[in-house]
Amino acid sequence: MLELFIVFIIDLLAFFLIYLILNTGLNIELGYTGIPNFGTVFWFSAGGFAAGALASRLGAWLLNIDTSGIDFIRDNMIIVMKINNILEKSPLQALTLLILIIIIAGGIGAMLGAVMSIPTVRLRSDYLAITFLAFGEILNVIGTAYTPLVGGPPGIAVPDVWAWSGKLRFTVSTLTILIIAIIFFAYAEYLVRTPLGRSLRVVRDNEVAAEAYGKDIARFRLISMIIGSTLMSVAGALYVLYSQAVNPSFFRFHWTFLPWLMILLGGVGNNIGVLLGTFIYNTIYKLIVFYKFELGGILPFDVVWLNYILLGALIIIILIYRPQGLLPEKPPRIRLKVKERKE
Amino acid sequence: MIVTLGTIEEALVYSFVLSFLAVGITLLYKTTKVPNFAHASFTTAGAYAVYSISTILNLNPYIGLPAAFLISTLMAVILFFVVLEPLRKRKASIQMLMIATLAYDILMYGVLNVYADTIQTSFKIPSRTVTLMRFDFTIAGFRGVFIVSLILLLSSVIILYFILNRTYIGISLRASMENQALAESIGINTRVTLLISWIIAGGLAGLGGGILAIWTQIDPSTGMSLVASMFCASIVGGLEEIYGAILGGFLLGLVELIGTEVLARTVGSWVTPYRPIIPLLILFITLIFCPTGLVSPARKAIRKLRGRG
Repeated sequence: MLELFIVFIIDLLAFFLIYLILNTGLNIELGYTGIPNFGTVFWFSAGGFAAGALASRLGAWLLNIDTSGIDFIRDNMIIVMKINNILEKSPLQALTLLILIIIIAGGIGAMLGAVMSIPTVRLRSDYLAITFLAFGEILNVIGTAYTPLVGGPPGIAVPDVWAWSGKLRFTVSTLTILIIAIIFFAYAEYLVRTPLGRSLRVVRDNEVAAEAYGKDIARFRLISMIIGSTLMSVAGALYVLYSQAVNPSFFRFHWTFLPWLMILLGGVGNNIGVLLGTFIYNTIYKLIVFYKFELGGILPFDVVWLNYILLGALIIIILIYRPQGLLPEKPPRIRLKVKERKE
Repeated sequence: MIVTLGTIEEALVYSFVLSFLAVGITLLYKTTKVPNFAHASFTTAGAYAVYSISTILNLNPYIGLPAAFLISTLMAVILFFVVLEPLRKRKASIQMLMIATLAYDILMYGVLNVYADTIQTSFKIPSRTVTLMRFDFTIAGFRGVFIVSLILLLSSVIILYFILNRTYIGISLRASMENQALAESIGINTRVTLLISWIIAGGLAGLGGGILAIWTQIDPSTGMSLVASMFCASIVGGLEEIYGAILGGFLLGLVELIGTEVLARTVGSWVTPYRPIIPLLILFITLIFCPTGLVSPARKAIRKLRGRG
């Protein structure tokens, strides 16, 4: 029973943390800068595809595995087995691989964020939301049609960068994700307090005022998109590495709608609120999944669909009765340093 | 010949469906100022209404079309009264309204899936990736759905034109589109006009969905997979021009289906799976280079020419 409980907690924590990174990224764009990013799934799957496509290729290169005559998609299982066998013994190389993948995934996310910031400058928020929503799906189309990327619909296995930790694999991987999440979260909290963070909020609240004070709106949107997108892509990469598999079906529901729900629940523009919202949602969700089978027999349909109904209703209720979320945005406390004059 | 007659027929039916959907989106955008993402589930609901009436009651599929109109209208009216009106009363921003329509879409997606599962277990009929194609008839080599949807689209446009230009309610609807405060000041009840626009838009989406069920395979996610195309059609038409949406629907439907076909024959069949990217590219190009759509610049150009002549 205790073991089951620990497995439950660790799995809950891992998903909570992956969502936390994604939501922190979305909060920088939506909460601080006011960019209605309805396409977070785009960056999440970009990171996921980067990790999925590169993990075995980079791993083989890093570990000097002979890859002549090997097709990374067709012989996917063989190469992943080979890499895992080596990674089981060498934590250092595994960590190098992990860090490399995360940096590359983040970089790809940042680049895509920079590209997609072009429409954010030119379009009004409603047109922008449509563009983001439509573009969210584009990578899934490419991933499905272009098999060398992640093997098309069946997907491929991904080397386990935590293979060296043996039985503690899930604990260690969750701890790694925890460290990364803490770094990003602390950065987001720091960002609010910097001049950059204040400029972002001015751009969000009043473009005219921002321009009057000489703020370059396009530049701030670009910066916000780059930071937010990096976080989202890293979250996607971590998700793929954690689950050791990737396929081109990142659903809009899971990776766009749920992050929005969690942020709205916690409080847009408040990092602590985002943390709270993410935690509450993930706990409830895991409990539903945990007790799902007891409900399953009674109803004439799959219980999964109740999730959609409940969450859709929940978000409408939040919007109507508590649009500011559980923890509304507060201006950050800034300690002004006043130099004491020596007299 | 690069394109067969069959492909052109397919593309035209697809264009009709997109026109039905895009007109609704444009109408709602003009009246409520919100891009209605719940249009996806209105479409799916219409499709399932036609499918269930035809298979459960063993009727001709076309008899289900009025039911499709009604069920989607009902969904639209519920969205308007239960979700959007309270939000508008609380002075919610456009972003909030957009999220609300998206949330409603997700909710309805769940409901439609529950419905599909339930009819499958209780009536023992398949309910996923199903089609009514085999119940369709042919006239002079044309599929019935082509002729019926053409007639439906033409009559809808004529009726819409009549309502908007000749009836009191339509004129007040247009007035409240142009300037809501001014319309209210001369005694137009804008709540009623808004409601009318939701009824029309929901009903048209239901008709589009119903045609989809007869024309091709449907699934609870049918509407969601069309979201990009319908919004693209609406934006290409100019999001402010009701009849522009029909033009957008045609442009997009023809380019998406015939363009893919032509590319597949000339470049290679590997192009076909990339078809969903075409509306996205059109959307992106339109928004970057011509964000007001294709109709109003054309109109301006004509006006200029006339002014000179």
